[in-house]
Amino acid sequence: MAEDLVLDTAIRDWVLIPLSAVMVLIGILRYFVAKLMRSFQSPDPKVLKEGQVLLRARNLKAGANFIPAKSFRARRFYFTNEENGLLHVPKEQAQNAQAQMFSDPNMAMDMMKKNLSMIIPQTLTFAWVNFFFSGFVAAKIPFPLTQRFRSMLQNGIDLSTVDVSYVSSRSWYFLNLFGLRGLFSLILGEENAQDDTQKMMQMSGFGFDASKSLSAEKDSLDIIQHEWVLPKMEQRAEEMLRKLVK
Amino acid sequence: MAGAAEEAQLNRLESQVDSGGGGAWEYLCLVRKLKARRSEKVLKHGLSILNDAKDRSKLGGEEWTLYEQVAIAAMDCQRLDVAKDCIATLSKKFTGSLRVGRLEAMLLEAKGAWADAEKAYACLLEDNPLDQLIHKRKVAMAKAQGNISAAVDFLNKYLEIFMADHDAWRELAEIYVSLQMYKQAAFCYEELILSQPTVPFYHLAYAEVLYSMGGLENLQAAKKYYCATVNLTGGKNTRALYGVCLCSVAINQLIKGRNKEEKESSELQSLAAEALLQDYKHRAPGKLPLLTTMLKNMKLIS
Repeated sequence: MAEDLVLDTAIRDWVLIPLSAVMVLIGILRYFVAKLMRSFQSPDPKVLKEGQVLLRARNLKAGANFIPAKSFRARRFYFTNEENGLLHVPKEQAQNAQAQMFSDPNMAMDMMKKNLSMIIPQTLTFAWVNFFFSGFVAAKIPFPLTQRFRSMLQNGIDLSTVDVSYVSSRSWYFLNLFGLRGLFSLILGEENAQDDTQKMMQMSGFGFDASKSLSAEKDSLDIIQHEWVLPKMEQRAEEMLRKLVK
Repeated sequence: MAGAAEEAQLNRLESQVDSGGGGAWEYLCLVRKLKARRSEKVLKHGLSILNDAKDRSKLGGEEWTLYEQVAIAAMDCQRLDVAKDCIATLSKKFTGSLRVGRLEAMLLEAKGAWADAEKAYACLLEDNPLDQLIHKRKVAMAKAQGNISAAVDFLNKYLEIFMADHDAWRELAEIYVSLQMYKQAAFCYEELILSQPTVPFYHLAYAEVLYSMGGLENLQAAKKYYCATVNLTGGKNTRALYGVCLCSVAINQLIKGRNKEEKESSELQSLAAEALLQDYKHRAPGKLPLLTTMLKNMKLIS
């Protein structure tokens, strides 16, 4: 099964490059449309406060060894104690968050807009690729693959004897989908990368994030062992001064 | 806070612009980015750009940011007429905007019309209850009126929501120190150390507060934090060296009666004293005899 198929360079000129170019252009278009459609979301005080609490808890974790043990324990108690600790989220509240998510019209609209702006171009491009660019071998993947990938990567090619490394343009489309993120961050500036993969992951983790991250912080604070690093400072200062004075 | 390199660049640009070379716009942008407070220069150069119609049109969309910057600089230099003009131009272009409203309230503040300014801020806060700058202006106003306890109240409320804002913690710590509420000030400095443990200034300030509070435990902690400052600044910080000496003397006085199980490394004190002597020899040799007598009295050097 080791025949080497010679692929026409015309494929490269007329399939691979135009497909990538089209995806880049669509990405840029989506970016500008998103900028136009972005509604100004007034900050929610609760969400803001939670964010700040998280930051402060993280600072506490990071710098715990620099403050005296008493102060650290006092602060840890303030954050994690069962009754009114800042990071403690009672069970019912956690449930409510999700229900609220669906009932709050603004948030629902926002999420719909975000999803739409991502799904529609993807679907259209995919359909276009399938319609125009199917039924032939588009490229060869440089490493060997198992037979299981055949159905995924060779959808238009109905020959079962062709090596799985020879793929159709559908796989080129997917490659571009995941790979153009770097290019977009170069062109459009750092924060505006059309990061489809991240958005897809975000879609499944619906913004429950707040209570989950709070409890995660709480757990990590609970397990910290405080070791005051300051006494070592005395010795280090002594050595340093000794060197300085000599 | 500007890093050393950026400050050097800022100074260089400043001298360049002052001596008539170009680059006023870059200077202003850099000042804005670093949030440095050079109001006179900003006012002078900003006005020269704004008054020249050709320069102004070259800026395009950025001219409104320049108007804002010049307005604030003018208020700082008490050139209220200039400020009023800038704000009038801005409000014609952006009516009903939060930023312009804030500038107008700041103008009232600069004029000294406290009650009007308070009303204006309250109005703005109703629409935007989470605007950080307005809250900070309220604190500044209370402080300027001399109403320190109100300032403390406002700051505390602000920090309940925005607890990761270390500038606010710093301001609160300084206010507490001025009110001699050392325990609260110590808490604030601890927050600052937590968020930025490599800034020697916070360790130094915390050590000073601990030293002022007194008591054996605090003195020992203070000594450790002075050592930390010495570490972080490579032994160059004179105040930290003094702090180490004074803390050791105070601790020795306190534990004079008890048996010296805790014979702290007296090396540290004498080393700090040595370092101080060297420092003075280099930088202020005239004051060296004063220092030597003082250290001899403290029994840190022989």
